[in-house]
This record gives sequence, C-alpha cells and structure tokens, in this order.
Amino acid sequence: MPQRHSISFVLNDQPVAIQADPGKSLLDLLRNELGLTGAKQGCDSEGECGACTVLLDGRPVRSCLTPVGKIAGRQVLTIEGLGAPDGLHPLQTAFIEAGAVQCGYCTPGMLLAAKALLDRQPEPSRGQIVEALEGNLCRCTGYSAIFDAVETAAARMRGEGRDQARAALPSPPASSATPVGGDALRRDSVEKVTGRAKYVEDMAVPGLLHARVLRSPHHHARLLSLDPGKAERLPGVVRVLTAADVPGANDLSDYSRNEPVLTPVGDTVKMKGAPVALVVAASPEQARAALEAVGVQYEPLPHTFDVADALREDAFPIYQGGNVLTSHRLAHGDLDAALAGSDVVVETGYQTTYLEHAALEREAVLGYVDQEGRLTIVGGTHEPHWQQAYIARLLALEPREVRVIMPPTGGSFGGRQDPSPLLATALAVHLLRRPVRLVYSRLESFTASPKRHPYRVGYRIGATQDGRLTGVRVRIAANTGGYDAHGQYLPDFAVVASGGAYRWQAVDAQAQSIYTNGPKGGQFRGFGTPQSNHALECTLDELAQQLGEDPLEFRLRNALEQADVSFLGYPIAESLGYGAVLKAIRPRYLESRRRVEAFNATADEAVRKGLGLAGMWYRFGKSGSLRVEAHAELARDGHIVVYCSAPDYGQGIATVMSQLAAEQLGLSRDLIELVNADTALTPDSGIQGASRATYWVGNAVCRAVHNLELAIRGTAAELLDCPPSDLELVDGRVVVQDHPDRSLSLESVAEAFDSLGKSRRVPGFFDLSSQFPEETRPKYTPHFVTGAQTAEVTVDLHTGQVKVDRVVAVHDVGRVINPLDARGQIEGAIMMGLGAALMEEHVPDHSTGFGSYYVPTAKSTPEIEVIPVEVPSYQGPLGAKGLGEAAILPSTPAIINAVSRAIGARMRQLPATPERVLGTIQGRPPEGSRS
Amino acid sequence: MTEYLYPASVDEALRCLEAYQGNARLIAGGTDLMPDLRKARISPRCLVDITRIPALDQIAVTQDFVEVGAAVTLATIRDSAFLNQHVPALVDAARSVGATAIQSVATWVGNIVQAMPAADGAIVALALNAEARIVDGHGERWRPVESLFVEPGVSAVDPCRQIVTRLRFPRPPSPSNGGPCLVVGTAWRRIGRRPSLVLPILACAVKMCLRRDGGRIERAAVALGPVAPVPYRARETEALLQGRPPTGEVFAQAGRVAQGECHPRSNVLRASREYRLAIIPALVSDALSTAAERALSLVQ
Ligand code: FES
Ligand code: FES
Repeated sequence: MPQRHSISFVLNDQPVAIQADPGKSLLDLLRNELGLTGAKQGCDSEGECGACTVLLDGRPVRSCLTPVGKIAGRQVLTIEGLGAPDGLHPLQTAFIEAGAVQCGYCTPGMLLAAKALLDRQPEPSRGQIVEALEGNLCRCTGYSAIFDAVETAAARMRGEGRDQARAALPSPPASSATPVGGDALRRDSVEKVTGRAKYVEDMAVPGLLHARVLRSPHHHARLLSLDPGKAERLPGVVRVLTAADVPGANDLSDYSRNEPVLTPVGDTVKMKGAPVALVVAASPEQARAALEAVGVQYEPLPHTFDVADALREDAFPIYQGGNVLTSHRLAHGDLDAALAGSDVVVETGYQTTYLEHAALEREAVLGYVDQEGRLTIVGGTHEPHWQQAYIARLLALEPREVRVIMPPTGGSFGGRQDPSPLLATALAVHLLRRPVRLVYSRLESFTASPKRHPYRVGYRIGATQDGRLTGVRVRIAANTGGYDAHGQYLPDFAVVASGGAYRWQAVDAQAQSIYTNGPKGGQFRGFGTPQSNHALECTLDELAQQLGEDPLEFRLRNALEQADVSFLGYPIAESLGYGAVLKAIRPRYLESRRRVEAFNATADEAVRKGLGLAGMWYRFGKSGSLRVEAHAELARDGHIVVYCSAPDYGQGIATVMSQLAAEQLGLSRDLIELVNADTALTPDSGIQGASRATYWVGNAVCRAVHNLELAIRGTAAELLDCPPSDLELVDGRVVVQDHPDRSLSLESVAEAFDSLGKSRRVPGFFDLSSQFPEETRPKYTPHFVTGAQTAEVTVDLHTGQVKVDRVVAVHDVGRVINPLDARGQIEGAIMMGLGAALMEEHVPDHSTGFGSYYVPTAKSTPEIEVIPVEVPSYQGPLGAKGLGEAAILPSTPAIINAVSRAIGARMRQLPATPERVLGTIQGRPPEGSRS
Repeated sequence: MTEYLYPASVDEALRCLEAYQGNARLIAGGTDLMPDLRKARISPRCLVDITRIPALDQIAVTQDFVEVGAAVTLATIRDSAFLNQHVPALVDAARSVGATAIQSVATWVGNIVQAMPAADGAIVALALNAEARIVDGHGERWRPVESLFVEPGVSAVDPCRQIVTRLRFPRPPSPSNGGPCLVVGTAWRRIGRRPSLVLPILACAVKMCLRRDGGRIERAAVALGPVAPVPYRARETEALLQGRPPTGEVFAQAGRVAQGECHPRSNVLRASREYRLAIIPALVSDALSTAAERALSLVQ
C-alpha cells in the first residue's frame, strides 16, 4: 500500500520532505509548521475568503481546503516563492504601482490567483480577470485597482510597456521626488506583496499561550454561576480567568458605559457573544476544547432586537436606567410655519440594518512582558495611547507600565476601535506573565464584534413649488444593541448628518441611541452618519420627484454656500465645495441620463435601467483632543525621523505622513523615516477616527517638521555664518542661497546639534482649542467635506436582481495628498456602500461568516470613475481635508435612488435584495423588520 | 493521525475501503470534506484519494454518451471545448460552484454525492438525465443520478464502501451525429444574493430536444433546486412541454406549471418561500427560451 505520513513535494521550487498528518490542511502546515505565513486565514478555513490561496501544480487552490495528503509529489507555490523584494514579479510591481495593496491581507492570495491566470492566459480580457479573482475577497480596494494591476502586469509580461518579467521595483520609488500630489507608492507595500509583512497571527513567539473567550449563547440572561474547575484540569489549560481576577476596573472606560471585559457572576449578559470567561492554554485547540468544559449557568431573560419593543412602556429593562442610552436634539427656526408655507411636504420612513466590518484579518492581539518588565500589547487599534490608558485602568497599573504597539493590520473600517480584545489579552498576560495571543474566530467576530447601528429614520420635509427647501423634521431611532460601545456619542452624529449641505428655513432633528439585545453597535466607517445621509438623500429624491424637479438641479438650487447658516444653525468653519461638487458631476450625470433613457426606450419589458444621484456632507476630524502632537528629529546620520500616532490599518496614512514631511522640507521621501503608533516611542496624536489623521495629525507633523527646520537653519546659520533666512535645504544639504559652494550636510548639522547640546528632536502642535473653547458649543469642530455620486443600475423586473453598472464619484477632499490612495479609499468606500445597498445584512443568529454575510466580490464591481474637486481647506496641511470615511455616504443612496427610479417605486429598506426589490415592484408590503 | 492513500486502480481503492470496514472514506477534491474533517463531524481513519487513478480524470465522448470521470474537476468541465459547444448548461453550472480556486479541485461527482438540494452539479445532472457508475463489493452498475438523493446531505452512495467512478449522460444529437431529426439545447439560470460564492436562491437547468424544423418540442427536461428536500425534476412541466411548439407563450405556461409543482422553503438568509415561488416562472421560461434558441441555432 502507498506510503503515508512522510510526504515529499516541491515547495517554491525546493524539494521538501516532511512528516505530517495528511488529513490536516495545507494552510496549517505552511503557517504553523513551515513558518510560511504569507498565506492568510481570513475565514474559519471554510473556503469562503480566498486569503489562503496558493498554487498547486500551477492551479489556484484554497490551502485551507487542501489536505496535506494531496500535495505529495506536487508543486506548491506560495507568495514567498513568487518574488523577493530584490526581484519582484511583474504582478507584485504592478500591484504596488496601481494602489492594489491597502491592508495587504488579501494580497498574497490575489497575486497567486492572478499568476495562475496569466500563466494560462497571457492576454486576459477584463472578464477573465474578474472571473479568476472572483473567489478572493478584498474589503479595502474595491477591486478596480487590482484588475488594473493585473492588466498592466500582463502587458508588461508580454513585452508591452516598460519593464520585463522579474524587473526589480525601482527603489527608492521613482516618484518619491514629488512627495505630494504625485502617485506616491506605499512604504509598506513591498513587505505585503512578498508575504513578508508580519501581522499578529504571523508572529512567532517562543512559549506562546493561546487565549479564547467564553461567550454567552443567550441574547439576554443573568449569569448565575461559573465553574472553571473541570476546564482547568484539561490537558494544556493554564488558567481560566473570570471577572473576579480583574485587578482594576472591569470596564471599557469611557469607550463604553457599563460594558465589562468579563461579565461578573450575578450580572446580566446583554447580547449573544458577551464575554464571560477567558481560557488560556498551550494550544488554540486546547483552549477551544476548554471553553466547552467551563461550567456556566444562566437564567435566560426576555430579549428583543427591535428598538420599538425596547421603547415600549412595559419593555423589559436591559439596563437599570431604562433602554434609552442617550439622545440629542437640534432645532432652530419655526418648523410649523416653514412646513405650512410649503407647497409639497413628503413623509418617509427609511430603515437600515446591522452591517459587519468584515475586515479580512480577524481580531488578533499579541501580548508579552518585555525585557524591562513592561506589559506590551501588539494589536490593531485606532488609538494606542487610549488603549494604554484603558489597559492601565483595567490592571490597576500606571500607563507607563504598559506599552501598546500597532502592528501591520488587515483592515479596520472602525472595527478595531473596540478595546475588548486588547483588554482581554492584557489581562491574561498580566496575570500569567507569559506571552499570550488571542485570535477571534470569524464566527466569534461576527457574533461579538461591534456592528453598524441599524436606524429607523422618519422624515417630514417640505419645499415650495419653485423647488426651495423649507423645513425638515427628522426622528432617528438608532439601535445600539446590548452595549454602549460608543453608542452614547451616536445621536449627535446621526443628527448632524441628517440635514446635509442644504439651506433650511427651520430644523427639528432628534436622534436616540437605544439599547436592545442585538449585537452592539460601534464605530464603522462614517460612524452614525451614512444611515442618516441615506435616508435624507432618498427622501430628497422623493421630494424632487414629487415636485417634478431634476434631482441634480434641485440639490444645486438648495446647496449651502460658504456664508450661509447651515443645518447646524451657524456657518461652518472650513471651506465648502458642495456647489462645485454638484457642478462637476453634472456632465457625467447628463451623459448617464441619456444612456439610461435610450436603453429604456427600447428595452425588453423584463429589464429597466435607472440613474440615481446622492450627495453628502460629512463632519471630519471631530473626535478627541483639539491639541495634537507630533515630533520630528534630525537623526545622527542626517535623515529625518517623524514620530506620530496615526495608526495605519491599510488606508495608507503612514505614507501620507512621510509625504507631508518630505514636502515641508523639500526633501526626497526616502530621507524621511516614520515611527508611528507605539506608545513607548511616539507622542499621543489623539484618536484616529472620523478621518482626522491627515488633517489633524498631518498638521502636527508639518508643524514639528517646520520647527525642526527652524532649528536646523539656526544651527547651520551659526556654522555657515549667515542669517538663517539665507539658507535653503537642497538634496539633503543646507545651502547658502546663491552660494552653492557654501553648504553643510545634514549629518554635520546633526553633529553640531550634539556638540552644542541641543536636542535633535522637536515637538509640533496643531491646536484649535482657542478657536473652540472646551465649554462652549460647537462641541465638535464644524469642518465638513462634501461629495456626490451617481449610480447607473440595471434591474431585472422579473426577479428583482440589481446590477450596478457604473458609479461616478465626485468629492471635495481639499488638496489631494496622494491621488493613488485617495482613489483607493474612494473606490473601496463605494464597494462597501454598494454592499450595504444591495447585499450586506447581518442577521443576528444567522450571519456567522462570509458564507452567510454577503460582501461584494469581484463580479459585483461596477465601472468606477473618481473625480476629485480640490477646494483647498483653510487650515488643513497643504490644503488637505479628511477623506477615508466620507466617500461611503453617497454610494448607498445613489444606488437605491437608481433602483427606485428604475422600478418606479421606492426602496425604503436596506439592503435591496432581489426579494425586496421584487416585493416593491409588485407592491407587496415590506416584511417585518429584523433589526 | 489519518492515513492517506493513493490507490492505483478502482479495485485497489475498493480494497482500501474494505480493509477499513467503514472507517475509510473516499476523497476527490475534498473541498466539502475538509471543513467536516476539521470540525470532526466525520473522523475517518483513512482517506482514499481517487484522483490519481488513471483514466478517472478523463472526459470521454462516445457514440452515445458523454462520460465524465470521478476525478474530472469542475475547472476541466468549465474549460472543455466540447462541453462549451454542446452542453453549455453543464459548463455554466460548473462555473457556479464556489469560485476558480474551488473549481480547480472540486469534482462533479463529489458535488452530486454531497446530495445537497441546491448543489449546482446535481441540478444540472438531473436535467441531463445523467447516470452514475457505482462500484462496490457486489459489482458495478449504472444508476440514474436522480435516484441517489435520499434527503438533504444524504446520498444513496456510501463513500465509505462505494465508489462512483464516472457519470454519463446521453450525447446531445448534433447535426453531424445521432438524431436525424432532433436538435438539442441546454441552459442554466441561477439567482443568488450576489453574483457568486454563494448558494443559489434558485437554480434551474433545462435540456430541450426539438424537432429539426423547430416545429415542436420532442421532450424537455427541467430541473430545479432548492425547491424540495432533494434536487427536483419538474415532471409536470416537462409533460406540458412535450409535443408543444417552442414559443414564448408555451414557455410562460411551463413556468407557471413549474411554480405549481415546486415546494421551496424559506431561508432567513437567502430568500423566502414566497420569493422563490414568485421567480420560478421567469427563471424556467428564461431557461427554456435560451435552450430553444441554442437548439435552433444548430439548424442554421
Ligand atoms: S482561509 Fe481559506 S478560504 Fe478563507
Ligand atoms: S487590501 Fe484587500 S482586504 Fe485589505
């Protein structure tokens, strides 16, 4: 009979013989036994994500679904064998250049799937590329840049275009000479395309223990007892931790009211997946087995997912103080008069649903005690210094006894603001004094991680016959689920986004954040604003239709001008480009309209096309402190080191920071080193949320660099014996103007700093606290970006299936710092907005992974055109504004307006699944809500 | 630790299964098996991999049949020039299973033996009147694929004792072959919550034999899923079509009959029973017209 156990195969062109269990997966073999961590696990090895793709005899396979037995005698190619940093494969080069790499978690799988295609088909059509990549999910890029990259690489490999196969990426990148506005390549991309980037799950740590969280299976229950005894006696189990083990405050601090890290006995769990105990064992399997052995008793309590139920007089209280967490109201003008003076008043009710971030990397945190005895936590986050404070509070330590480091991270979209996994890991490391890693399963991530808050939004909104908006009344019920998780701050955001960049005579807007026993809501790209904006922009579309107005001209007529009193009741404080945006989209809009009308005039009765338009305004950079700090240092060898905390989970902010520094100094970007997001090394630059990094941290970086430049000039001036104002920085040297022979290298300036005893590291602050005193309104800085998008869709009227054909996105983002990244952020946001419009819906109890929660795949990608409108900001660094989140706001309503217009009826519930679309076409009442 | 064997012949594979007395299990692509193994829903002591048995990875076209070996992957089917030309429904169904990296290794036979009511490969096999060659300790025989489905996830084929070595279906008569007066067209229609990587809300496969003059339908096979606990042949619909002219009106009527004979269930994630019923007419009549067009295009 054939051989067993000993398996020989060829791995990345090298013959290998191993002893292995042939029934285990190739993915586990590669990652755990061979140390090749380029292949990623994005789902629970269910074959649903494609991140683990490798080539077996040249064909793409899911390594998680490939038993090791199958590779005997075959060739396996992993990303590590595709091309090394000094000899990149043309696909790798093209991915970097096209901006096809954001968080990089999908990248190894994508590259290998693409390679298999090009090996078989050197001249693939776009359709073939889509088909080949269909099985590989990407949550960041929106796919278009990836398709482009494959086309470019194919052309080059055929000998068209500039470099040939196996060309090395020019290093430093050729474009680094023009830091801002040129297509600056990502600093970390080479690591990512070669599979060398080490994400938390990829880090090898000797003596590592593995933690798993025991979670409530009930949506609402009292925790009666916990007995870890049996679990602790299982092989490999080190400890079962409970609330009783927490040395400090068992909470999430001001991130979330009333949310424990581990639920104490006697207390209630408010949602399924609420944490109850933490099991630590020698292997992940042992930890998993121990979960089932923990003795735990619950008393189930009545539960609801529905805000209407939770608000009822006789509702079962989820919290002592009642089920309303917070509310916020904004009112000015005489609404009754405004509506009475309207020729048309429409009333609408819109509903949105729970959404999952579905970043390709699951929640993963590593912790250890470093050589200095300091508790060190490595995990994706938006604010390392806040986490440091939370951890210190949990463990009753001083913040300086805790270090938080941001590793390469596989996407966030807001999901990584949840401190829970970091806190749980910190607790285990602190108590056991051993290295511990906590990785959520995908199922666990779906159950326990924060979601987009579902909204119910009711509008009453009026206009005059000549198309002028009068008054708006809006009521928003936001479902914050079982825990606060920032839901306390939500109503303000919901309200602000509900009025848009339009002129109103009178406003009455109110939002409530309401507890239910659904999954906890949390931060999610655009925190609390896309839902309101969706309802607003759909309602405006209904109003325009009733008035017989063109939706674009209607919005333009009512667009807020710079000096106008805004929806907030006062003018906004940054430059405003909404009118310019609408004008810029007009030609595309008219083109689309002609196309859609021509199609419909001759179409078969079963299909209709529709064109939709939606706008948005988005308040960026609201969060956190009004005073932000960064540092710049002249290194001993003459290069510049920038220190800041702007965590990069794939959106490319690290590149932006070094670009800004380079531009400020007129230096090439490779002379700039960035030290980012590590509490032991970098200053607190505040939370990275609400797209504030470029504007706020960028400004602080620019100021730090400016201060450093002043110091450099000052010192150099003494040495060169001239006034500082005569000096310029040229190619890494300080030169006396008009005297090129009189110059100093930055290295010698650094030497002079040292000999003079001057610090080579200087801080810079961006501080708006004098403009916005703490005690007075506005509580948040009234800085807004605006944008508008059109969507063209095709609807099958017999089945309700929708295909988005084309999206045009026009955004005022101030000055564009990195066009490639700006495009990538916008395309990624559009695809996420498309998912929310048509397919994404987290159904509690049913959505358990990528097989039951439908994120858009390659085939759903429409043609996308991105047109930036650059209305420079007043105070942003080099005129930039915030970008990353805003682009998602118009996508969903533009698509839904297009569908509604195509079918001649309004889609008021998200997502517009084939079933809901057909139901609306046939006039069936929408089914009962699930959220 | 599991044993992993590569038998060199079907006989040897059978002997391996026998030797383990029910504790060994066949594996082909393994894409459905691996999650079950990992979660210990099944724990065979031995996996018997049939993909290296010579000749099982062949598609053979004989005088009367198209035969597809048990190791033929969905990718091979998808890329087969013969099937693309003559049996597009099978090609489209193969393309519907997972994605490229699944199709690289997953097999048509495996898709059928999994016995899920929504399995694309099973639905199309029904419409093609496919048969399975079953080999076990008692000998070999052909059995209609339709007779292999017991209940959701349960096949009449026991992967611990039996081997399906190949599938066959009647070779479509083409101008150069077979039926002097018949032309055949096939079609596949599928609706899901997204374009792929998802189980279907509903899928429909059709094979239609038309008189060469286009005047009437000799016979048609219509298969749907998931509309019953097992992949479903819509026999009332087929009866209606027989002998009728291939017109839009007839197809629309057929769609309504199909709607009447199907009993889909509600699924919270995918679709309700009502929706599934509502789209059956469109799906069936669409597939029928495509199949008819394809058949008639052979006459020109
Ligand atoms: S890990 Fe293999 S497909 Fe997700
Ligand atoms: S870059 Fe594709 S998932 Fe992040």
